[in-house]
Amino acid sequence: MFARLFNSKEKPRFKRSKKWENELNKCIRCGYCYELCPLFKTNNWESDTPRGKLLLIYGMITGEIKPTQEIVEKIFQCFYCKNCSDNCSAGVPVTDILTDARADLIEAGFDVEGTIVKVDEDLCSVCGVCVPVCKYEALSIEEESKDKSKIVVDKVECRGCGLCVSACPSGAISQKEGCQITLRELHTKVSDLLKENKEMKAIVFCCNWSLFPGMQLSESLTLVKTPYGLIVSMCSGRVAPELVLNAFEEGAWGVMVAGCPPEECDHDGNYKTRRRLVLLKSMLKELNIEPERIKLEWFSTGESAKLTKSIDDFVNKLDKLGPIQKMEVSKKIGG
Amino acid sequence: MKIDIGKLKKIVGEKNLSDNIADLYVYASDASVHHALPAVIVRPKTIEEVQKIMRYANTNKIPVVPRGAGSGTSGHTVPIDGGIILDMKQMNRIIDISPEDMLVRVEPGVVDDDLNRALKPYGLFYPPAPASSRIATIGGEIAANASGVRSVKYGATRDYVLGMKVVLADGKLVNLGANTRVHSSGYQLERLIVGSEGTLGVVVEATMGIRPLPKYRCLGVANFDRLEDAGNAISEIISSGSQPSMLELMDKIGIIAVNKAMDLKLPEVAAIIMFEADGNVKQAVDFEIDKMKKICEKHNGTDIEMSYDIAERTRLFSGRKKLFASLSRYKEGIICTDLADDMGVPNSKIAVTAKKIHEIAERNNVIMAVYGHCGSGVIHTKIMLDPKKKSQWKDAEKVIEELYDYVHSVGGVTSAEHGIGLSKAPPWKKARKDIIPMMKSIKKALDPNNILNPHKLMDAPDNWVEATNLRYRVG
Repeated sequence: MFARLFNSKEKPRFKRSKKWENELNKCIRCGYCYELCPLFKTNNWESDTPRGKLLLIYGMITGEIKPTQEIVEKIFQCFYCKNCSDNCSAGVPVTDILTDARADLIEAGFDVEGTIVKVDEDLCSVCGVCVPVCKYEALSIEEESKDKSKIVVDKVECRGCGLCVSACPSGAISQKEGCQITLRELHTKVSDLLKENKEMKAIVFCCNWSLFPGMQLSESLTLVKTPYGLIVSMCSGRVAPELVLNAFEEGAWGVMVAGCPPEECDHDGNYKTRRRLVLLKSMLKELNIEPERIKLEWFSTGESAKLTKSIDDFVNKLDKLGPIQKMEVSKKIGG
Repeated sequence: MKIDIGKLKKIVGEKNLSDNIADLYVYASDASVHHALPAVIVRPKTIEEVQKIMRYANTNKIPVVPRGAGSGTSGHTVPIDGGIILDMKQMNRIIDISPEDMLVRVEPGVVDDDLNRALKPYGLFYPPAPASSRIATIGGEIAANASGVRSVKYGATRDYVLGMKVVLADGKLVNLGANTRVHSSGYQLERLIVGSEGTLGVVVEATMGIRPLPKYRCLGVANFDRLEDAGNAISEIISSGSQPSMLELMDKIGIIAVNKAMDLKLPEVAAIIMFEADGNVKQAVDFEIDKMKKICEKHNGTDIEMSYDIAERTRLFSGRKKLFASLSRYKEGIICTDLADDMGVPNSKIAVTAKKIHEIAERNNVIMAVYGHCGSGVIHTKIMLDPKKKSQWKDAEKVIEELYDYVHSVGGVTSAEHGIGLSKAPPWKKARKDIIPMMKSIKKALDPNNILNPHKLMDAPDNWVEATNLRYRVG
């Protein structure tokens, strides 16, 4: 209790995590989960993989290593896409183990950034818009005094999806950079893709939960260049309108968003995307830009053939439409 | 051994070095049972950086362990002498794809499946296909002479290595081999590096042969009530002159494990065989697959299913694909360990060896599944035991000794495709006393300070349970 209040660290007892020792032994450490981990694809450090995290938890509960700030940061870097848990042939419940380890470490007084969202109290007006956005109830309004309240983040429950980041009207919620999830990093990715390949016509945002386009870690100068660029965002709900408009500004002929089917989204982010894109399409109309340059389609896990066909159809449509002519007004909006 | 971290940081940059415990602890492991902490991890991006690191390490006699994805099963990348882990995953460029010359030039950190994704639009592929191809790097595959389900037709990594650039222990860069399909110009030194497990040099670029993707693939599955019948069917398919592109076996233990882990509802028979033929002429593929089907029927194979359809082939193969990890789910209280995992036996000995494995396991209180690319003579096993019991590790040691004595007595090899590393070194050394002095001479000539992946293969400790840290809490 006091450790929590004063943010000092007590020796973690790992009372929740210790029950998982047998499950951690079941992990044969094949490392096949590397392929499925978006964080590993970004950082390329094995300590960011599910196998790496399980190793660290095992080391801590068996007493072989003591938790340090570096270790704790690794444990709190995960987007809970559950690709690892869902595909582990040894059936190891990776994210359940991770959640218990997080709770043990928070209880011991560790403070972390990880992929957890943070609220800038100077910018936050405590409007509460973010609270219902979070399906995991990780955000709540806490009354500090009679006339002062603030938004509090439950660091164990936060899944790092970042939907609250896109929803906050004051721009008060953020995540640390370095994991390729912030709006700025996504903008840079869009811009780099379009600069690298002048023939690129479409930017396709894929939801990490529903679709996973393979390992794609290696670089190739000789790959057949595709007329589209894939960006794996954490949830289709992260695709903010300015991201779409900026893609147009950078030269994309069209933007496609591939999300989970409505009933399958873990975060209900797809509903938000749908609403946003409907509004954005009508805005494009006002600007004399064809609304069909924005496409939203749902794909379940494993429907990669459907995705490929859908992208091809979209690119064919863009070929007929040609490049965008008028961007003067949208520049102001997306700017 | 004091390592100048500042000096290494200057070579690879701040972001590509770590000596914090979070990374050290993770890089202390691979898929084996072993565990040992390195002092530092560095991630070079260029050949020059690798050369500088090796010069520094050689001058100061610091061990260096090159590492790909860390998917090795025998402890090849576990740094039992500490030192530097050379994480090669950042050198991951596919430098050139040359369909005219049917070869590719890649950096060692390129992932096998990524390479195949890049080759597919050209109608080409890189065949070795180990089960870990989704994460395994080409450098790691060279180090272990990896192969996989298609080795029965397409061979192993060594059959595709044409040339390579290697940084030696003293930092010198050498070009080995050629860009031609064959060469007879001196020692085949590129072949010497294949299977050397990072003990002779650091591969920084490889030129590999590639093949055209076959137009047709047909997969068949047959059930057997007796393991011996399945083994005999495999032997006859091979000796009959058939050309399968895949010929896999799965025993009942494996079937139960995948059913438990993935709810596949496979029939829990004594064994399943999966046989595949590929080619560009459908009639030829039909001929091969039909021939294999008839041999299966002759040996009492039943419920035979066959399909050209990719979705159906994926379904039929899904159990085999995920078998390795599923074994941990076979029974409560026991787990799957990567021990005695990939012996190779002559074609005529498949059935008897499969039976012998079950006998030895039962006698020594452990469980062992029998599966693998039996068409190439590769028998995969795993020792399933209770890792917390010290006595079970003694049982495992006994199993390994008995099993390899048998395998060697029938003319088999210790490792067919995973390598020796630490855990397979004792039985291998016992069987190959004749070649160890020669291997030691080669090692001494190329790495006189013994800094490259020291104490592996012929220099590995004889008693791996006591001499190396196990990654499990025992007792």
